[in-house]
Amino acid sequence: MTRMALEISDLRLSFEGITETTEVLHGISLSVAPEERVALVGESGSGKSVTARAVLGLLQSQKRVRMSGRIEFEGQDLAAMTSRQRQALRGSRLSMIFQDPVSSLNPVYRIQTQFHEVLKRDDPSISLEDAKRRIRPMLSEVSIAEPDRVLESFPFQLSGGMNQRVMIAMALINEPSLLIADEPGTALDVTVQDQTLRLMRRLVERRRAAVLFISHNLGIVREFSDRIYVIHTGRIVEEGPTDAVFANPGHPYTRALLAAVPRITGGDIPEIDENPSAYEAPRVVHAPAAGVA
Amino acid sequence: MTRTVRIILSSPLSITGVLLIGFVVLSAVFADLVTPFPEHSGTVVDFAKLNQPPQWPNIMGTDLVGRDLFSRIIFAYRISLVLGVVVLVLAVPTGVTIGLVAGYLGGWPRFVLMRTTDVFLSIPPLVLAMSIMGVLEPTLMNGMIAVTVMWWPWYSRLVYNIVLAEREEGYVLAAEIIGASRLHIMFREILPNCFPAIITKMTLDLGFVILIASSLSFLGLGVQPPTPDLGSMVAEGAKYLPDSWWLTVFPGLAILIAVFGFNLLGDALRDILGNEQ
Amino acid sequence: MKAVLGLLAGRLAISTLVLAGVSVLIFGIARVIPGNPARIALGPNATKEQVAKLAAELHLDEPIWIQYGHFVRDLSRGELGISLYTNRPVTTDIAQFLPATLELVLIAGILMIGIGLPLGMVAAKYRGGFVDNLVRIVSLLGVSAPSFVWAVILMLLFAFYLPLFPIAGRIDTEFAIEHVTGFLLVDSLIAGEFRAFGNAMWHLFLPAFALSLSGIGQAARLTRANMVETYEKPYIEMARSYGFPAWRIARRYAFKPSLIPSLTIIGLDFAAMLGNAFLVEAIFAWPGLSRYGVAVILRKDLNAIVGTVLIISAAFLIANLIVDLLIALLNPRIRYARSAR
Repeated sequence: MTRMALEISDLRLSFEGITETTEVLHGISLSVAPEERVALVGESGSGKSVTARAVLGLLQSQKRVRMSGRIEFEGQDLAAMTSRQRQALRGSRLSMIFQDPVSSLNPVYRIQTQFHEVLKRDDPSISLEDAKRRIRPMLSEVSIAEPDRVLESFPFQLSGGMNQRVMIAMALINEPSLLIADEPGTALDVTVQDQTLRLMRRLVERRRAAVLFISHNLGIVREFSDRIYVIHTGRIVEEGPTDAVFANPGHPYTRALLAAVPRITGGDIPEIDENPSAYEAPRVVHAPAAGVA
Repeated sequence: MTRTVRIILSSPLSITGVLLIGFVVLSAVFADLVTPFPEHSGTVVDFAKLNQPPQWPNIMGTDLVGRDLFSRIIFAYRISLVLGVVVLVLAVPTGVTIGLVAGYLGGWPRFVLMRTTDVFLSIPPLVLAMSIMGVLEPTLMNGMIAVTVMWWPWYSRLVYNIVLAEREEGYVLAAEIIGASRLHIMFREILPNCFPAIITKMTLDLGFVILIASSLSFLGLGVQPPTPDLGSMVAEGAKYLPDSWWLTVFPGLAILIAVFGFNLLGDALRDILGNEQ
Repeated sequence: MKAVLGLLAGRLAISTLVLAGVSVLIFGIARVIPGNPARIALGPNATKEQVAKLAAELHLDEPIWIQYGHFVRDLSRGELGISLYTNRPVTTDIAQFLPATLELVLIAGILMIGIGLPLGMVAAKYRGGFVDNLVRIVSLLGVSAPSFVWAVILMLLFAFYLPLFPIAGRIDTEFAIEHVTGFLLVDSLIAGEFRAFGNAMWHLFLPAFALSLSGIGQAARLTRANMVETYEKPYIEMARSYGFPAWRIARRYAFKPSLIPSLTIIGLDFAAMLGNAFLVEAIFAWPGLSRYGVAVILRKDLNAIVGTVLIISAAFLIANLIVDLLIALLNPRIRYARSAR
């Protein structure tokens, strides 16, 4: 078996409140092979975003978080690393795209300054001019026609779609081996979202990055990912190659999700019947398609 | 409400605040019972004990005419608290009404009311109160008037800002659609949503009114002798530093304790009520 | 930059309007004085004729709006009338006393920003922890006592018990600095007297620190509150996801954006200091506007009261204009409000 880009085994996570402890992940296991695009699908509150943040090591430092299980990035156990080592991975080998592009960029700095900061993660002594030289081709890859105007701008001066492209370019400029995309573009309108996803797909293919794609929308996931994990209330309920899951959804929750897919890609969070007892059915695993993992 | 009380009692800082306020309020109310020399709140001279450092039974020493400093401080609390409550009772409804009207009606009422508010806010608070006190005779009553005149604009500014945000909310629109009167919308729909911020500010302000009032009397523009007052006690004692340090240090600390108590509680309330909004 | 200038012009217009309002308000307050100011000024032994003559000189016998008209006309010529207390033009008195007060307030303002903002930043970075609680207690204590109490405590501790700082005054008498601006720090540098500069600084420190303590507390609390709010913003998480060091995130991602809302309130705190300076000056025998202000208020010296309050309010409005300008410079949304997309 090849070394996985990401391997999570039996991840449990809980938040300690003032009076009680809430468990949000009840033993998640999933893996992402190099260059593979894997989707983690579930409703809001299912634990998918928490999983993403745990992989980035953003939760480990919080006092209220209790975690167990194993997260391996390129074969290295994240828990065994110091926080400094984890920090070194972020932004260079591992990066993330966020849901709302406009509010995820710092409002008081120009785009070029923010790009420059990101490039300094890989090369601390890089000058602004050198940074711009590296950024311009990247921006044209995400179909930004006037890179210099965009670089000079503040985030609020650009449209949402433009900010989203900037964020994608930023996430990929240091050539990460794993990109985590947390509901990218959900805050944007449907056509813009569709465009940016195509763009993202083209870019990760070209850069041979693996992707963990987090979404509530099976319609989008179908176009984008090789494999799917369906997550419900902190448990993986179904997993398998995209085609197999769509052709033959085995778990009642997956069927409910599929029934709720909006006709066009995007749209609101699907409304799913409250039917918790049926959703407690055992996990469904589809055989991997030939050639993958 | 019970939740608020429970959260307050879970933090050592806010418990400290409650205890300090409790001490100040209870001792002020029962001043006649808890002070060793209640008659020293008035004009009394004790030539045997002029200007004595702390010693039993005068635990905070005596002043220049031999009166017990501790007794006078507790009686000064009584006057400070009355002043603080009266000022807020006058200033809060005034400021809140002006802020509500200006924020909800908009147009020329807003221009007139908020520009007037700005004028009052453009004079440093203490300077405004000083000039009013300078014109009036320095009495307790006039002190209350002066502090009230400088205080209401802060409430109209606070409420105005909340109303600007709230008037866009669905419930206001809903009330407008069913034809509720403006008065009803302002006082029955919007005002209750301002309460958490107003209550928090009032708690903090009770302390700050005491602080400002003591500053006025420190400058000789407030309550006049022989009425015991923390600010004038510090001013009087400052002439005898550093030898008769107790004359200034204890009244000064008394101000600090009272205001600190209200600040601790107000701070806790802000954390709790702020999160609920 | 055009947007900034436009904004500034607008604020300047509003400030002028507000200052006009202040003049009406103060003028109104000063004229409701019970008793005849002319009588108070001349004392009980003056004859009726003398009182009437002075009242006529001061236009006290005319209706109040005419009096206000006289006042505005004088003001437009840069005159604030004669002080009945000093028998000198009010402008001369203010020019003599104001620099000492402003010098004190400016140094206190620098201390407020230089100490308060970093304290708030540290508290926000370690929010919920020991340092946060410590800063909370210290800043609450700072705002919980009027500045004259801090002045007394600091003076006892650091001037009497530990004689590190002087007890009173602006500068030692051995230094004779030529009066140019009235600001000793500036005048001593103009004269090239660096020892005098140091001496003036030494005299300034305790009063300025006493004056700044409540401002430090306010600034720290405010900075902390705004930063804690900013820490919840998505761009902070994004910065974390890029592995930027925690202090870099604190400074560049949490502090700078939250500085903008903090600054407005800091402007107001500055205003409060202009008033509180009166309290500190009284303790440290600081030859500023305080003694003059209290004296003219107690003597019901109309022209001097109106003039003093007007000048202080003008100083406050100018401070707020500077704050607005800083905000516009810090906030790209205002700076580039009118530039094309």
